[in-house]
Amino acid sequence: MHFYQDPQFGNRMLTLMAAFVLVLQIAMVGQRWLITNIRIFGAQSFLLAGIANTIAYFNHAPHLYIAAFLTLALKAVLLPLLLERMVKKIDIGQEIAPLINVPLSLLVSGGLTTVGYAVAESFHRPEEATSPASLGHNTLAVAISLFLIGFYMMISRRKAFMQVLALLCLENGLFLAAISLTYGMPLIVELGIFFDLLVAVMVLGILVYRIQETFDSMDVSRLSRLRG
Amino acid sequence: MSDLVVPALIQFLLFVLIAPLITGVVRTMKARLQIRRGPAVWQPYRDLLKLLRKGMVIPDTASWLFSATPYVVFLTAAMVALMIPMVVTVAPLSLFGGVLAVVYLLALGRFFMALGGLDAGTPFGGLGSSREMTISAIAEPAMMLAIFTVAVSANSTNLTEMAQFAVSQNWRFLAPSQILAFGALFIVLIAETGRIPVDNPATHLELTMIHEAMILEYSGPYLALIEWGASLKQLVLMTLLVNTFFPFGLSRDWTALGVTIGMGFYLLKVLLLCCFIVLVETTNAKMRLFRVPELLAVAFILGALALISTFFF
Repeated sequence: MHFYQDPQFGNRMLTLMAAFVLVLQIAMVGQRWLITNIRIFGAQSFLLAGIANTIAYFNHAPHLYIAAFLTLALKAVLLPLLLERMVKKIDIGQEIAPLINVPLSLLVSGGLTTVGYAVAESFHRPEEATSPASLGHNTLAVAISLFLIGFYMMISRRKAFMQVLALLCLENGLFLAAISLTYGMPLIVELGIFFDLLVAVMVLGILVYRIQETFDSMDVSRLSRLRG
Repeated sequence: MSDLVVPALIQFLLFVLIAPLITGVVRTMKARLQIRRGPAVWQPYRDLLKLLRKGMVIPDTASWLFSATPYVVFLTAAMVALMIPMVVTVAPLSLFGGVLAVVYLLALGRFFMALGGLDAGTPFGGLGSSREMTISAIAEPAMMLAIFTVAVSANSTNLTEMAQFAVSQNWRFLAPSQILAFGALFIVLIAETGRIPVDNPATHLELTMIHEAMILEYSGPYLALIEWGASLKQLVLMTLLVNTFFPFGLSRDWTALGVTIGMGFYLLKVLLLCCFIVLVETTNAKMRLFRVPELLAVAFILGALALISTFFF
């Protein structure tokens, strides 16, 4: 048996890529520059497409190839390009202005990852370790951590723009959970989600633009102030 | 007795003689990447020889600490060099706690370095010392966590046993915990050797220097010892990094053939790591000092996650 047909090897590659996805997510928390954050998101989506491809290959789930391709085209290329253009167009300040300082945020995201691992542990069935369903059980922990850290980023960042990005990361976590648990949702649902996401980003982009126009700032905390 | 002394002697000589070369190689590669010609790779040897022949100026305010520091810095680095596996999985010297002794011997060297900087009585020395301590206070726990990750999977803090375990497992370095720990240790390596995102080894600008500020008052043979100790420490950390995470080609015993092959693999791995460091140094700008703890916090979190993921999966 060649190594590229060995499920053990597939499992290794999956865990490896999932680890990189997690590292990128933490790097995003530790980053201060908007553009870098967008690029990190692009790289993360690229790895996600890789994970989807690997799962499709080792579990013989051909419809996942389409999901992988969509992830690659949409989340790794199109959305980062759109977002970068938006940043340049609105000409917002480059710093992300977090509410909580970076080292503390990193510690919090480390804690959230621990929570993710603790939760995923309860889903792990060692007795089924040989069945293909256990392929990449480690990825579930990463998916939950991604989800939690995405939420955390959303509430701890002041700029509306970062919240869009946090939403996208959160969605990345959901996608990872879906493909690692069930080999992906039915294709039509998958397509719906991608379309939804694209529209959401566009709408949010317009919203962010409006916030910038009205308040001369992207700081969402100003939204609570009443203006007559 | 001789089978204990001979390996120790060989490893000591190898480390002490190669260390300046690695510093030179990094400098030359960096220069080439920036399209400069740069000094020859053996320039550090010439510098050391020149410094050893020169006289010394010792500040009037300095106490015995000032003169003790260069020896402590060099000797702790040399001692650590004997405690880690270089080309053979068996380290010549094993002290209490193995890897703990390594971490704390390095800490001792750093502590004396900071004292030496303060002892000279110039403001720059104090400034450098305080910065060095700020950085190492975070870098040290990150390093410990990363090394413990490896120690936990090998079930031992003894570096010889850790290396033997690593050699027996072929593709272990692909495990996520190992990748995370490698990332953490790499950032620590950058911080500890004073490379660019943290400290610029080539600068003498007051506002930014850390390592250079501490040794500003040293001259002649003392400076040579400190510089030599610094490059020795750099090589020691690099060796620790490549041999714990990529143990290819480590010989299992001290035979002539094994040592030769091991040496070839070892130099290859260290050179590859040098390339990686040079790339990082050239593509990044130096961070503001107050941003450095953020970078080290990343290393700390990576180390913590590595440890967590070894326990959970």
